[in-house]
Amino acid sequence: MLEVRNLRVNYGAIAAIRGIDLDINAGEIVALLGANGAGKSTIARAIAGLLPFQGDIKYDGRALRPNKAELNVRSGLALVPEGRGILAQMTVDENLLMGIYCRSDKAEALEDIARMRERFPILAKRRNNLASLLSGGEQQMLAIARALLSRPQLLLLDEPSLGLAPKMTDYLFGMIAKFRDEGLTVLLVEQKARQTLKIADRAYLLETGRVVASGPAQKLINDSTVSDAFLGGHAAH
Amino acid sequence: MLLQQLVNGLTLGAVYTLLALSFSLVMGILGILNLAIAELFMIGGYIGFAAIGANLPLPVALVAGMIGGALISAVIEKLGYEPLRDAPVVTPMLSTLGFSIILQNVAINLWGSDPLQLPDQYLGGQLQFGWFTIGKMQLTVLVATVLLVAIVAFIVQKTSTGRALRAVAENREVARLLGVSANRLVLFAFMLSGSLAGAAGVLISLHYAAITPYVGVEVGLKAIAVMVVGGSTRIWGALVAGPLIGLAEVMTVAYGGSQIRDFVVYGLMILILLLRPQGLLGGAQIDRGQRV
Ligand SMILES: Nc1ncnc2c1ncn2[C@@H]1O[C@H](COP(=O)(O)OP(=O)(O)OP(=O)(O)O)[C@@H](O)[C@H]1O
Ligand SMILES: [Mg+2]
Repeated sequence: MLEVRNLRVNYGAIAAIRGIDLDINAGEIVALLGANGAGKSTIARAIAGLLPFQGDIKYDGRALRPNKAELNVRSGLALVPEGRGILAQMTVDENLLMGIYCRSDKAEALEDIARMRERFPILAKRRNNLASLLSGGEQQMLAIARALLSRPQLLLLDEPSLGLAPKMTDYLFGMIAKFRDEGLTVLLVEQKARQTLKIADRAYLLETGRVVASGPAQKLINDSTVSDAFLGGHAAH
Repeated sequence: MLLQQLVNGLTLGAVYTLLALSFSLVMGILGILNLAIAELFMIGGYIGFAAIGANLPLPVALVAGMIGGALISAVIEKLGYEPLRDAPVVTPMLSTLGFSIILQNVAINLWGSDPLQLPDQYLGGQLQFGWFTIGKMQLTVLVATVLLVAIVAFIVQKTSTGRALRAVAENREVARLLGVSANRLVLFAFMLSGSLAGAAGVLISLHYAAITPYVGVEVGLKAIAVMVVGGSTRIWGALVAGPLIGLAEVMTVAYGGSQIRDFVVYGLMILILLLRPQGLLGGAQIDRGQRV
């Protein structure tokens, strides 16, 4: 579904991504792991169309043009950015309505919003509140619901568990695992490696802009170099 | 007499409100002060004069002024803002200053620097309501302002385009992720703002029954002040500050004398800002507009 070849992204003189390859097959949950500053968000943002890049990104067999986020969302690619990206000065309902901004089938899109309110009852309950008044977990639900409303085929989630309580994180990961059953393909950017690998099919491990390990999630959990280098700090799980 | 002055003040305030709203649409959403708005307002006034002088009905004059304002504003956005979007904030502001000087020069060359007067025959006489009278033109200015503010409020608050506009204002990147073409929305904001400035220009030329190429500088500066007093990050601050400043100005002229008019008006503004630096409706730090 997504083919990334020799992707390079620079911020001015800084080379943040130094030539990576990455594949996502339809129906998979692929994890992108790495420490702070490894370049995870940069990759997600380049795929979503927020950044200029060099190299090739093919989505559904077609090359994605760099920096065309507003077009990409219409071809089924949605990113929930790091920090959730909710529109704090708008109400919950207005945020959801922004989720269907890109849809041309408005009547059906409005039904999707109604379904989204059933799926996340808190969004119905707080519909007229400013989104800034929601708790962190609720904001993440809103951000994900809003992204789903664009009817994505490929959902990019950038550190969705950031700043969430452990219970909320468990709930969130359970929900992401179920996306697979709905036919959604997911790229999950995370730092919570152990928990992420449990729900992922495959994973890429990133270090300063390069892929240092990749493979089936199960294998990476057991791989001693990976657990030493990266999972050690999260051994508590 | 007092009631009469109140009506005068509200009429003037209505024009300030519209023009301040025009400034704050671009300021609140894009974080830049589009100085050319003052001259769009002046051009709108001349367009209105031309239309009324040609015996066209007032709504037509108003719409003509709005279209003129919107079109010039679109040109300014394309040439003076979009190419400079990533430059420091003062750069696009200077380019709008450049446009405002050009527009003023164009007006001086086209219409001369002496004031044009609107003959009495167009002013439509007075309406008598019991013991107080209101000029038909004044009533027109008030009604038109209320209608325009309502339309803009509806567009910004209730339509999909208005929501997208607010999304771009709050977070350009998130708006793009949701499919909003930020460039197109910025152009739309400029045109909406320009149409309000044009409308305000038509209305002020009715209010004063006269127009000069310099009206933009004088009234524009006050409208900027109205926007700041209202709270420049909150679009609707102008709705409070506009009438307030209009009333203060008219009352000062009526009861104090026109020579202290600007002294009182700007003094009042400074006082308000000393007490509430964020403006009347401005919120806390987090509400500071950002640039997109
Ligand atoms: N806008 C920017 N300008 C300059 N450098 C940047 C910018 N954004 C990121 N970087 C740099 O690029 C590198 C990769 O950053 P990125 O945000 O992709 O990392 P990350 O893996 O998402 O980290 P985190 O876990 O902290 O979110 C870092 O060295 C970072 O400092
Ligand atoms: Mg990141």
